[in-house]
Parts: sequence; structure tokens; C-alpha cells
Amino acid sequence: DEAVILPAPPDLSVHSTNMKHILTWSPVIVPGETVNYSVEYQGEYERYYTSSHWIPSSWCSSISTPECNVTDDITATVAYNFRVKAILGTQSSAWSTLKELFNRNSTVLTSPRMKIIKDGYHLIVEFEDMGPYFEFNVTYWKKSPNSQELYKIVREGGSLEHLVTMEAGAEYCVKAQTVVEIIERSSAFNQVECIRAQDESHLL
Amino acid sequence: LRRCLISMDIHHMEKSFQGIKTAVQAKDSFQNITILSASETLYNITSSDVCCMTKDVLQFYVDKVFRNHEESDPRIQRGLSTIANSFLHIRNALEQCRSQKNCYCRKETTSKFQLIVRNYEQMEVKAAAIKSLGELDILLSWISRNYQPKATT
Repeated sequence: DEAVILPAPPDLSVHSTNMKHILTWSPVIVPGETVNYSVEYQGEYERYYTSSHWIPSSWCSSISTPECNVTDDITATVAYNFRVKAILGTQSSAWSTLKELFNRNSTVLTSPRMKIIKDGYHLIVEFEDMGPYFEFNVTYWKKSPNSQELYKIVREGGSLEHLVTMEAGAEYCVKAQTVVEIIERSSAFNQVECIRAQDESHLL
Repeated sequence: LRRCLISMDIHHMEKSFQGIKTAVQAKDSFQNITILSASETLYNITSSDVCCMTKDVLQFYVDKVFRNHEESDPRIQRGLSTIANSFLHIRNALEQCRSQKNCYCRKETTSKFQLIVRNYEQMEVKAAAIKSLGELDILLSWISRNYQPKATT
């Protein structure tokens, strides 16, 4: 039967949020058949110094879904290119590549999810674990005239961090942003959250 | 102290190298020779010369070492690619730092760097490249010691 001419997978692009990078493309459809895909990449080094050299992606050498998590491939803050080809049996399509190179310093940084807890008079904050690259810039203050903002860096998410010992009956507010040192960027601040310490009498 | 404050993922580079170190060093058939001669070169560098030495050594690795090694194992390719691209990023940052902060080289530092190049050029190219790749742990720990993340400086 007539050999099917496999088109190169179109619409290749990288979607990156909070340092998780996903390569996607439009599927190549061959009725009644399962088309597989193979992904390779080049960093700035390969492009300038060994331009013919492409490296097989860590997780997507033969996959059937039109998507690949390339977070483990993008391991430096330089521009990367990706290429994908479709495979059907012994047949392979041409490679398609990114229209624009991708650098992880363009990742979208969302403001952090935060929980503030009072344990007695202790004000405690907890952030979601966003991975090894994320620290949290915390700003907190007592809600009272000419009160002063205080700052703290929380080095990792997923653990409780003591902010301050509160005065009885006083209200305290907290806001935070993520900081990713290796791309020298930070997110917007999240919504301010406030909490009131118990009154002194309440504890007797 | 004229250090250049650079954001770099030294932990990831060290982790990448640890993953391929045994395989890379096993390919080195001249175990009793050193190219970096760390005790005569890297470990004697004053902090004001760190910037210059780093720039020259990384340039050397990018221009000569990675280039002269052909690797067929994808796992090792990925590890070396992480380090090569990270070196490129650091070198680009040092270039900017150089123009701003005179990260120039004193004669003494240049001659230490020349010793590394001479050691390299005395060996056959592929043997020299694989040996230098095997010595990446020495270079990475030296870089790690000399560059603190900005937040802690």
C-alpha cells in the first residue's frame, strides 16, 4: 500500500510556569494508526560550538502524546531550541523546530499560595513546595498607626516558618512573593492576609 | 575584593557531573597526569583574581574541552550539555562584569592559566579533552567556594 507521507509535527512551542517547562505541538493524524514522536534539544553551547549536534530529550524519545515535560533538559539560563519528528513504523517525518528559542528566564512566575496560622501568640506562615529553585520574600507588619514593615526570606516551601510573637489583641498582616535566584526574577506579591492575636483575657 | 556576583546553579552542575563522573573518568587512560594542576593554579588564586581566572578557564573549557570530546551516550551528553551551557551563561555574565568592574588579569594569574593550557596541549587532543572533563569536579568545587549566592553576600 502506498507509503504515508508523514508531515512534520506543527505548532511547536514551550509553555513555562514556575520553572516547569512543557513542550507541545499539534498531533500528526494518520487514521487507524498510532503516531509516535521523538524530541531532541540544543542549548546555546550546542548551537554555537557543535551546531549539528542535538541531544535526545530525557523523557521523550518515543512517546505517543503531543506533549513533553522538558524541565530536566533545560538546565541552564541560556536559549534552547527543540525539534520533534513523527514516527510511524519505519517511517519518520522531517524535524520541526521552535519558531522562537526558549530561555527559562521567561518562565511565568505566579504569586505563592500561603497559609498563615496562629499558634498561641506565635504567627506562623507556610508556603506550598514549589521546587528547589524557589525562595519566598515575606513582608509582615502589625496593623497599627506608623507600624513598621518587617522582612524575612523563607528558603523553601512545605514547612512552617515562625514570623513573630504577636501582642495580645493586635492584628498582623502578611504578604509574600516568590524569588528565583538563578534567573534573577521574582513574582508579584500575593493577596495580603491578616490575623488577630487572642486577647490577653481569652487565655486565662 | 572585586568579585563578580553571578547567579549560577552550581548545585545542579555538581549534581550533573556526579551522575556521569565515574563513566567519564573511566575513559581517562592517563590517571597519573593532571591538566588543571589545581594546587599550582586554582588554589593559589587571590580573591581579586577569581573573576579573571574563572572567565579564562571557562572559556578554555567551552572552546577546547567540550568541543574535542565526542560522546555517544545520551545520558553523558545531557550531563555535559548542562555544564557546557551553564559555563556559557557564567562566562557571558563575567564578560558583562568585566566591562563594569575591570575583571582584568594580573600577570601572575595569566601565567597560572597558561600552565593549564600548556598541560592540555602536551597531550593528544582527545585524551586531553577526556582528562579535563574528568577534572570538572575540581573546577566546580573551586567555583562553588569562590562564588556565594547573592542572597548570602
